[in-house]
Amino acid sequence: MTDCANGEVRDLLPDLLHDRLAPAERQRVQAHVDGCAECRAELGLLRGLRAAMHRVPAIDTGAVAATIPAYRAPARRSWTSWRAAAAVALIAVGGASVALVQRGSGAHSDSTSTAAPTAVAVADPVATSGAAGTAGETRRVAAAPSHRELALASAAIGELDERELSTLVKDIEQFDAVPSAEVENGTAATPLSPRGDE
Amino acid sequence: MTDVASDPRSQAEDRTDLELVAQWKAGDQRAATRLVERHADALARFVASVGARGDVDDLVQDTFARAFASLDGFRGESSLRTWLFSIARRLMLDRRRSERRRGEQIEIHESDAQTEFDPLDDVVARETEARMRRAVARLTPTQREVFMLRVSEGMSYREIADAVDTTEGAARVHYHNAMRAIKELLDD
Repeated sequence: MTDCANGEVRDLLPDLLHDRLAPAERQRVQAHVDGCAECRAELGLLRGLRAAMHRVPAIDTGAVAATIPAYRAPARRSWTSWRAAAAVALIAVGGASVALVQRGSGAHSDSTSTAAPTAVAVADPVATSGAAGTAGETRRVAAAPSHRELALASAAIGELDERELSTLVKDIEQFDAVPSAEVENGTAATPLSPRGDE
Repeated sequence: MTDVASDPRSQAEDRTDLELVAQWKAGDQRAATRLVERHADALARFVASVGARGDVDDLVQDTFARAFASLDGFRGESSLRTWLFSIARRLMLDRRRSERRRGEQIEIHESDAQTEFDPLDDVVARETEARMRRAVARLTPTQREVFMLRVSEGMSYREIADAVDTTEGAARVHYHNAMRAIKELLDD
């Protein structure tokens, strides 16, 4: 079987077979085919191939459809839950950093290693506002929380409403950046304090 | 006499794929059935012609299961049928890979192509058709996929490119190479 030299028309023969050409184009291609033995033969071959390939086992569509479950919309995380997660992450990172600071300064101040501060105290401006000026109390605020305290704080954050969360996030943002964990010249790192107390 | 306008089945026939998808999402399970009925045969033809052996039903079912589970990710950039073909193709590739890992022979032979159609051939197959099927079975896997989608399903090169993850130009080349190969095989 030889090929027609008109590659453009040959390219469109499957579309002619499936009646997918626009009327004007269909007319043009059909006119060519009518006068071209090679294209008529190729179109006949395509028709035969389509018929041959259409012989497949019948599918039990009812059985297939029966396995399709009812639609379930994907779950979406609320903005509040994202903010709560962010607040928990901030406190966890802050607590870990403070723990590192305390470890570095522990050799210089035994009093800090025996303090029992809480993570909530770090985030609570009331606990820190009255502590300015007394190094001991300021250190108490900056000390690392225990795992249990962090867990309790996380659970409590989950119960906060939008406004309370907003306040908490603002309070956290008002703290200075976490101090370097490195201790310079053997001195203890600067304790954390709210910006307003400086 | 049946009132065609009020016949739900007739109404479903008229709805586009996207409308049926929206209906299914709204809780109408009949819309899912209609979508299956509309596309199952074409999917079966595709998976059978590109080499699924004996598990056409499973592949079609798995394709629909996968598709309906991820319909939220279907953005309608291609037709639903093209999207279904692309899912079926990925499933077949996954199965071939796992068969390969198990050391199974996965090449398609003429006898495979013959066998997978035989259950329906309860009448004597015409020799011409049998030869055509054998010729198609001897194409490369990619040529067979492209040729099948172009000739059996009448898809455009753009649609084929979307379904088999290639370019429009490459799809065109595969089609013409397949056509030339089939002519040579039939002329032998």
